[in-house]
Amino acid sequence: MYSSELVKGTLKTIILKLLSESDKMYGYEITQKVKDLTGGKIQLTEGALYPTLHAMEAQGILTTDVVNVGNRIRKYYSVTQTGKKVATEKVNEFSDFIDTMIFLLDLKPKMG
Amino acid sequence: MYVLKDEHISFILEDIRRNGIESEELQLDLLDHICCVIETEMLPNSNFEEFYRSIIHRFYKHELREIQEETQLLLTFKNYYAMKKVMILSGAFSAFTFIIGSLFKIMHWPGAAVMLLTGIVFFCFLFLPILSILKVKEQKQSKDKLLIGIATIFGIVICLATLFKVMHWPFAHILWTSSLGILFFLFLPIYFFGGIRNPETKTNTIISSILILTAGGLLFTLTNLRSSHAVEEAVFNSDDQLLASYIYLSQQKESDSLSESQMLIRTKANELCLKIENLKVGIIKSISSDGKGITEDKAIRIFGSKFDPVQSYLFSENDQASTELASIKKDLAELQKLVQENTNDKECSLLSTQNIHRSDYKNQTLSWEEFYFKGLPMENVFRNFNQLLVNIRIVEINQ
Repeated sequence: MYSSELVKGTLKTIILKLLSESDKMYGYEITQKVKDLTGGKIQLTEGALYPTLHAMEAQGILTTDVVNVGNRIRKYYSVTQTGKKVATEKVNEFSDFIDTMIFLLDLKPKMG
Repeated sequence: MYVLKDEHISFILEDIRRNGIESEELQLDLLDHICCVIETEMLPNSNFEEFYRSIIHRFYKHELREIQEETQLLLTFKNYYAMKKVMILSGAFSAFTFIIGSLFKIMHWPGAAVMLLTGIVFFCFLFLPILSILKVKEQKQSKDKLLIGIATIFGIVICLATLFKVMHWPFAHILWTSSLGILFFLFLPIYFFGGIRNPETKTNTIISSILILTAGGLLFTLTNLRSSHAVEEAVFNSDDQLLASYIYLSQQKESDSLSESQMLIRTKANELCLKIENLKVGIIKSISSDGKGITEDKAIRIFGSKFDPVQSYLFSENDQASTELASIKKDLAELQKLVQENTNDKECSLLSTQNIHRSDYKNQTLSWEEFYFKGLPMENVFRNFNQLLVNIRIVEINQ
């Protein structure tokens, strides 16, 4: 499991990428999906996830949809048109960042 | 999968509320999340409450309200930066337009009014309110918040008062006085007595209060500026000379061997002079409380450049004075016609029948009474009346 400092800087990028690839997701689903995809190496904490989701909703990057699930309400998050642009920008920026880090730290990319 | 009952849901919701999650949106998110965790991870025979207590720790480091605080911080942070940007931009813009506008105003260049107006409007209705909101958010005590609010209102009112004064709009004086009232009787007492009680802020409060008092006092000095003594003296002297000429000319009349037409002109001129003098007395009476035993130059000395009362006396509707002015104009035309027809003075010009063009920056065309009496301070109105008296006597004597 990676340290929370590493995850913190990429939280927005991870959420936006996941949400832009699917129609809509709820909070628990996002944490589970990240956990599954990374084999448990990245685990989003709820304390970081929800504040970020709310901030992105306020910025107009995400919208919410409320659905009744049994005896409670579930909030589904989805990406807006602006959000899709931001997602692409964030992913590109991060990819560029990785290239720079590989160069900076003189890492040999693992082949195959 | 464990199935949660309604009472479980209410229990969780109640617990997260009690632990400081105030936002309803966040409550819904967390409730669903916790329910999902319980449904997938809890074994059918486990105790619900025990299990809940064991998993809720995952959501925070120290306490649950961290999520609420973090959300709040991120939300205000975003607005904070946007607001700060708008504040700085509007502040810089208004400062720039205000200074350039003032320069244009001093130089009498066109466009000054527009610049001053936009500068002050941006400052009053964008910069100051945003600054106030940001500062209020930073303060914890309600007393400090109140002080910032009052200071903002003072700032807005005094800026608007300055704008109104510069543009010669009505109510400028009321705005100006009320802004100083807010400063002296609302802001300063709250600031002073609030700060002096705290030993840490005592010295600073005293110094700042003195500075505020001095600055406010300087503004108060500017409230009603009058012309310098030398200027006033010059005005009286020129007026005195005109009056002396008028009195001299009035005494130079030979009563014998006058023709009928000359007699007619003389009577008409006397009537006219009396009317003008009565109107002058009327003006003085309208601005002085008792209106008795006061001469013209004394009136000017006492009342200075009274602008509005003189103007409203001469030009208000349904007023005797405006009728008198119209009658003076009519008599002047009659006298002029009489002189032109009966004497050699064919060019006699007491009254301009055509409109007069004022070649200042406003480039207006005005009627006779507008040109000589409207929009002028008291001393100019008197001077023009006195000049008229002298002109009438010259025409009368020249025949």
